[in-house]
Amino acid sequence: MGIAEPAAPPESRTGRVEMHGVEKRFGRTVALAGVDFDLEENEIHALLGENGAGKTTLMNVLYGLIRPDAGSISIGGSPIRPRNPEDAIEAGVGMVHQHFKLVPTLTVAENMVLGERGGPMLSRRRLASISAQLSELGERYGLEVDPRARVWQLSVGEQQRVEILRALYRKAKILILDEPTATLTPIEIERMFPKLRLLADEGASIVFITHHLEEVVRWADRITVLRHGERVGTLAPRETTTPELARMMVGRDVTLMRVVAGERILADDDEGAPAAGKPATDGGIREVLAVDGLNARGDRGVPALRDLSFSVAAGEILAIAGVEGNGQPELEEALFGLRHAKAGTVELEGRDLTRAEPDERLRAGLALVPSDRYRRGVIRDLTVAENLVLDRIGDPPFSTRRGIDRSAVSEHARALISKYSIQVSGPEQRAGTLSGGNAQRLVLARTLSRELRCLIAAQPTRGLDVGAIEFVWEQLAAARDRGVAIVLISTDLDEVISLADRCSVIYRGRFVASWAREELDHEQLGLAMGGAANGAANRDRERARTEEVG
Amino acid sequence: MTAAAAAVGRLPLESRRVKAIAASLAAVLLALIVGGLLMMIAGGEPISAYGALIDGAIGSPAALGQTLKLVVPFTIIGLGLALAFRGRVYNIGAEGQMFMGALAGGALAILLPVGFGPLLIALAIAAGVLGGAAWGSIVGVLRARWGVNEVITSLLLNFVAILGFTYVVRRPLREPGAPDLQGRAIQESAALPTIPDLYIHIGIFAAIALVPIAAWVIGRTSFGFRVSMLGYNAEAAQTAGVRSRRMIIQLMLISGGLAGLAGAFQILGVAGRLDPGISQGYGFTAIVVALLGRLSAIGVLLAAVFVAILQSGGQAMSVIEGLPYAIVLAIPGVFVVFLLIADRLARG
Repeated sequence: MGIAEPAAPPESRTGRVEMHGVEKRFGRTVALAGVDFDLEENEIHALLGENGAGKTTLMNVLYGLIRPDAGSISIGGSPIRPRNPEDAIEAGVGMVHQHFKLVPTLTVAENMVLGERGGPMLSRRRLASISAQLSELGERYGLEVDPRARVWQLSVGEQQRVEILRALYRKAKILILDEPTATLTPIEIERMFPKLRLLADEGASIVFITHHLEEVVRWADRITVLRHGERVGTLAPRETTTPELARMMVGRDVTLMRVVAGERILADDDEGAPAAGKPATDGGIREVLAVDGLNARGDRGVPALRDLSFSVAAGEILAIAGVEGNGQPELEEALFGLRHAKAGTVELEGRDLTRAEPDERLRAGLALVPSDRYRRGVIRDLTVAENLVLDRIGDPPFSTRRGIDRSAVSEHARALISKYSIQVSGPEQRAGTLSGGNAQRLVLARTLSRELRCLIAAQPTRGLDVGAIEFVWEQLAAARDRGVAIVLISTDLDEVISLADRCSVIYRGRFVASWAREELDHEQLGLAMGGAANGAANRDRERARTEEVG
Repeated sequence: MTAAAAAVGRLPLESRRVKAIAASLAAVLLALIVGGLLMMIAGGEPISAYGALIDGAIGSPAALGQTLKLVVPFTIIGLGLALAFRGRVYNIGAEGQMFMGALAGGALAILLPVGFGPLLIALAIAAGVLGGAAWGSIVGVLRARWGVNEVITSLLLNFVAILGFTYVVRRPLREPGAPDLQGRAIQESAALPTIPDLYIHIGIFAAIALVPIAAWVIGRTSFGFRVSMLGYNAEAAQTAGVRSRRMIIQLMLISGGLAGLAGAFQILGVAGRLDPGISQGYGFTAIVVALLGRLSAIGVLLAAVFVAILQSGGQAMSVIEGLPYAIVLAIPGVFVVFLLIADRLARG
């Protein structure tokens, strides 16, 4: 039975998928080394793995975007070789990509027609019938969206609903969701999974790709773990635990779970001796960074930051949490002098840096771990060694009167490569060939080896695998314990909870809530990130503050 | 240790030097073959035509002198452009900057009542550099302050500069009583000494001396390194503390100043007067030279010699073999195309 359309004929196809020995190579890289995967009807199946484990590749094979080198696929018992997405859609497969494939200036209904063949594209009658179908589908599965709304007006969560609706509209029986929770607020995530459940109960088969362990354990019927293009195992959530899943993903024990659970990573580490300056919360707070009334505009000229005020003390991590698109890039840039501040001040240890260029900020002891590490963090065409001196090439010992001292550059690189365990063949390897985790290690090595007073770490673990996340968190915690003031701009709840000494939530360029570490909890944080509601106590506090300011 | 150390600090353009050189040589060969085919199509015989070309370029001291006269501006301007292009500052206005340098240096050499030759020459040359740099800085400031595309401004300012130069030659500094359009001659003491027999002015030494200096700046100084940072990834460079706006202006000052230097040399060493004919589009040819030279200093020198031989020998060839000169002019163009292809392939 086709679930998509009420009038759909009873189809022989079912949502059972079997994939056997699927292999795919890209050049010399083995993306999939003979993977088996099966999907039952009425099932939510999580595909878990680190970045580059082959999750998306495997699903792209099923969706006809990638042709495998070997292996077989059958859907509903009959073998199929999808040569393109059209074939896959024909066979009842629908895919919701991580980055939505919607045309923002068109309406929801118009987006349904895209890629369809035949007929007048946008006749009014056709649109009306599409709208009716969409409304009905939406009602049935709790995926209501106004069919006449233009896509750009919708929130990310609504856009995702549109993508799912499009798959259903095309009578998909097998629904593939690539990292469906990556861009959603915690609230939206909470709302999404029950809808998927409903869909599955109504007959759909659902695969969702993720690297978030908790979602998997909570919502999946079965879990398949991939590592380096191979299937490590398929199991049911009740047979396993998150640490075990993490171990399967990474191939070794990770301490991350301990961190997530709230323990300090460095508790048993001699580097974190209290004498090193874990700040006394009582007395002796040394304010390092003070931001007052900061305003900045986004790239399109609309206000992106509105009257942000905060301060960070030595040895403290202030987390600025928020869902993507609420002013984080602008904040990062404005703090580091990469974006002009319309109003307000930025002071470091009492020194006004509001108009200072990045190099002046660097010299004053401020540094940035940029959110987009390939855009701002590394220069791909230069070597690892060169990337490690980007910010200090003009200083001794790297520059002498006779020019650049290559052996000093190289020695410096060797030291940092080993200290920060950057996986490279040598200092002269091109930085563009580094994995995300290694690129971030490089950025951290360069940044943390400076004389630091204050560090701005923007989305420092975005896109990284568990092993690399662990490393980044350890480094940030160690820097904090050395007395560095840290501003952590993050969309990742776990990261915020694990690292923050204090936390503020940014929503549409404003702080909507703030907590000290002891008061932090997932639920309130999630609510505030959605912008809708503040915790009651916070609302009062915020009100008091706005009254003060206003 | 030493091998690794040597590899570090070297820019990737050079670190893949062997491949790059092989690609360049292959491109030269292919370009020459295509040039030969063009000659055959035009009814010529490639081997003897190339022979005539070489002979016309370096077959006699006078011919060699003619060729070197081209090498000077190609090299000097090409070096400045190579540096600017490394920083992705696409200065297409060297021609105009050259004319502005020629105007400033020439005017001084005509008007300044200084009897002592070396001083007058030094002042005129300095004026040339400043003239070119000032003209280039307009482009730099527009780009740095308001983000105006430098390709457009530098290109259009060429016409302003050339027309301005022509105006001065027609009116304020016209040679009195000259039958045709001619600017005034420079004072005799301002003329650059020439090397006997070769008829080439001593600017050639300046051009050659600039090559290792440029190589050092590009490859061994933190300034050169930062220019490459800017060129490879302007946002990362900025984040690492490079002041991109300032650097854009600096690059325009340097490349404009070098073009101005070449312009002053053309007046003081070649034309001997303010003459609109001091350049046959040398400022544009220098763009090709910089690209052919793969933005390296040595490469620019080699490319300058290569293009100068084609241009000066090509005229002789067209006379002797009765082939159109345009064929010869096509060769560097074909070469650039092959070079870009080879580059792409070498990169894999």
